[in-house]
Amino acid sequence: MTTDPVLVGEGIAHEFGDLSVLEGVDIPVASGELTAIVGPNGTGKTTLLRILLGHLSPTDGEVRYMGPDVDRPIGYLPQQPSFRPQFTAAETIAFYAGLLDEPAETEAALRRVGLADAADRRVEALSGGMRRLLGIAQSLVGEPPVVVFDEPASGLDPSMAANAFEILAEQAAEGTAVLVSSHDLSLVDRFADRVVFLNRGSVIVSGSPAELADATNSETLWEVYESVIREPAARREVEA
Amino acid sequence: MTSAFAQFRALVGREIRTVARTRVYVLLAVGLAGLVFALTAGGGGGQTGYLPAVVDLLLPLELVVPLAAVAVGYRSVVDDLERGELAVLETYDVSPWVYVAAIYVGRAALLAAVLAWSLLLSGLVIAVASAPDTTVYATHSGVDSPILWGRFLVLTVLFGLAMEALVVLLSVAARSVRAAVVLATGGVLLAAAGGDALIVLGLADGWLAESNLLSALAAAPNSAYRGLVFETVIGVAAAGDSGYAAPGWSLLGLVGWLVGSLVTATLLLSRRHL
Repeated sequence: MTTDPVLVGEGIAHEFGDLSVLEGVDIPVASGELTAIVGPNGTGKTTLLRILLGHLSPTDGEVRYMGPDVDRPIGYLPQQPSFRPQFTAAETIAFYAGLLDEPAETEAALRRVGLADAADRRVEALSGGMRRLLGIAQSLVGEPPVVVFDEPASGLDPSMAANAFEILAEQAAEGTAVLVSSHDLSLVDRFADRVVFLNRGSVIVSGSPAELADATNSETLWEVYESVIREPAARREVEA
Repeated sequence: MTSAFAQFRALVGREIRTVARTRVYVLLAVGLAGLVFALTAGGGGGQTGYLPAVVDLLLPLELVVPLAAVAVGYRSVVDDLERGELAVLETYDVSPWVYVAAIYVGRAALLAAVLAWSLLLSGLVIAVASAPDTTVYATHSGVDSPILWGRFLVLTVLFGLAMEALVVLLSVAARSVRAAVVLATGGVLLAAAGGDALIVLGLADGWLAESNLLSALAAAPNSAYRGLVFETVIGVAAAGDSGYAAPGWSLLGLVGWLVGSLVTATLLLSRRHL
């Protein structure tokens, strides 16, 4: 396992018209680590992910990819992944592999996420959780050095959510730089190597779950969240 | 590095597989064939020959073909947008022009097949039911012929291809499926009826000179199609001079709508980061 940053966002700012969504965000994403972005709704997590993916240009700052020169540097799983319902799971993966002009190792890709038995099932016949796993399999096609997951556990039952995070953690353990945004603090606490707390468009604190707990005299990541995001927000409301 | 051709091939394959497995398109093919057959039979063209059938079908097809193009293509891009697949495709370094070209080829192939099948079916009925002289394979003046029906089929497919390109553009412009259906239907109807209306208005108000009429007719997709059918199908079998339209300009007009729509769609998609 290495900890070299393969994707770095420096001083990222973004504005939608007059509304500042992100301001001076520095975020390194290291190989072999699962980095989680945590924060309240509307705090700019998805915008930050889109900027890191290159799908949106920052109004200030820059994103640098420093990984190997490959056909697909960054894999991506959107928040609500969906695929053509007429296709089977295997055909879906084969299609994406075809975009990279690579032999489609669909069986291995589906086995990695536990969908080997559903390979010939059409997407329309897969459950929501299975579609999410298919999305994860898609995000790993071509073995990109960086993989970005936007709320991979949202809407999943606890066991399926844990299953999704286990796959991401395994991928990180194999050397991939994994970046997720999530609201599930217990899963982040359990699986993340590094947590970035984002609030009102800025990074409040970041570090490993243990470092953050130490720094805030907390037992769990939820307590860290309370002390760095909820309590300051309550103070601001009282002051206002 | 991944070749653009490999990506194009994969995307076209996905489109064709998608439409081949979508039952509503089978219904569209059956419905359109039935409609064309009914229009042919209702107008008496089935018994009288290919040319009367062309005359019967020309005006209805000016409306039916754009609507069929809408049915085939209005969801083509917006579905990928709503599913998040456009954002995913971007991580595979798919260029906008490869994506637009592939989507268009897949959908256009379906529309061409549906239109060709409908007209071939009616052509077969005419061949069986009409008078003996329609079996003469010739195109000189005064003779009805299956060749003329074949030309009508090719021109109708070309008109459909131009309309499909416009529908793909409008699907790129839409942000939701609901917006896509409104945009596509409104857009093709505007292109279909608006061009003719503008020409009539121009002639009436005097800002369009009569000397420019043929080139103006070529610029509107419906009148370009109509002009080509008059010049190369109906006019061939009629005695005397034709001069209903400028065939070269009309052909250029339809190709212009096709290419212009696809180029605009590509530029629009580029601005959205694919």
